[in-house]
Parts: sequence; C-alpha cells; structure tokens
Amino acid sequence: MTAYRPEFEAALRLFARVSEAMKALGFQAPVLVGGAAVEIYSLSAIATGDFDISTGAQDAFEAELQRNGFVRPSGPGVATRGWIHPELALGFEVVSSTLLDGMADRERVELLEFDPDGEVAVISVEDIIADRMGQYASGSAPDMREQAQRLFILHNQADLDYMDNRIRFESGGDYGVADLKG
Amino acid sequence: MASQTLKAKPKRAIPVAEFVAHIERRRQETGITDLPRNSGENRTESKKALLKAIKDAGGTW
Repeated sequence: MTAYRPEFEAALRLFARVSEAMKALGFQAPVLVGGAAVEIYSLSAIATGDFDISTGAQDAFEAELQRNGFVRPSGPGVATRGWIHPELALGFEVVSSTLLDGMADRERVELLEFDPDGEVAVISVEDIIADRMGQYASGSAPDMREQAQRLFILHNQADLDYMDNRIRFESGGDYGVADLKG
Repeated sequence: MASQTLKAKPKRAIPVAEFVAHIERRRQETGITDLPRNSGENRTESKKALLKAIKDAGGTW
C-alpha cells in the first residue's frame, strides 16, 4: 500500500487493470484528468468522488469497465454518462476524447507503475495546473487558483516554460506562471 | 501553438512508491497538507447524477 487513501489506491489499481486491457486491445491508454489527477499529485491532500477520463476509445473503455463490474446508474430521473462500481462505490466518466481539447501534450502524460496491476496514465502536473487556472480565469471557480498554487509549490520540478504557455492558453492570456507565486 | 512546439521525450513509467516518496518529501518541506475543494457549482447534470449514484452505493468520498 502507498500513502494514498486505501479506497483511492484500490480505484487506481482497478483503473490500471482496465488500462492494461485497453492497451492489449491496441488502444492508447486512457488518461486520468480532473480532480482525481489533483488527488494523485497532492497525495490525497484532497479527496475526489469520481474519476474523469480522457480516451479516444470510449466504447472500448466502457466495455472494459463493464467487464470489471461497472454498471450504468439507472432509475427515475437518473441521467449520467458515468459508470459506477456498486461494490467499490466508485465512479468513472469519460469527459473528453482528447486531452484538454487536444491542447495538452500527450507525450507529457505521467505514467505510474502500480505493480502488479499495471500502469496508470495521468495528465501532466503542468497541464492540470493550467486546467485549474483556466477554471479560475472563467470566474466561476475562485478556489481553483489556490489549488493550482499549492500544486505548483509541491511540484517544484515542473517545466515552467510549458506550464506558462498552457496557463496563458487556458486563461485566455489573463494569467501565467507568475500568478502562481505569492 | 505551445503544446505542439514544446515536445518532451516520452516518459518511462515511474514506480508509484518512488512518485509518492517525492510528494511526501515535498509535503514535509512545504507544510502543504490540504488543498481547497472544488465548490461543485460548475458540475454538469451528468456529474451530479454520477456523484449521487456513488453516494447511494455507499461511497464516502
């Protein structure tokens, strides 16, 4: 076991097995984005309720989820594109077919080895920080700047040039790396 | 476009224990132990329904 929340690590290991199955079928590994990526990069300093996934092979991914016990929630008034695992009480949802609308560099995706289950692909820390700053810049998520700032402090080896470009793009030019400091 | 011009070399998979050790060290050095939560105000209807289903299944996160 690692320092992650046990239920979070169990979910990551399940995602690793699904990812390995996807690769065995000839697809690119699905990539973890959103709040679960923030939990990975903060070592569960924040807890997330579900897993947002980027994959260009949604049908194959969801078929693999079903083979691993996931079901589509159903019932009156329930309309979700996500899937839950009833026993593990966790959810996955495909939110995009390309990383941040194709603007994130796929080659920067972080690969984590969860032996013996397989690899987990996670959006780069630079891109998740840029994503948070983009949400902050939209004016609808004021807490996201502080989230981005703390991730920035934790990950002091990030590529600042790439991150600055990505933040500027996601924020419409309003912010950059300098806005993460102080 | 920056994301297409600033290419990095393909990465090798990092053993999760090694990855965790780095963040643990940085958490100790910086004193950062928590992050502000997303207020959830921008969640899609699909996301709200999924989170409700997780909660109904007994999820506590």
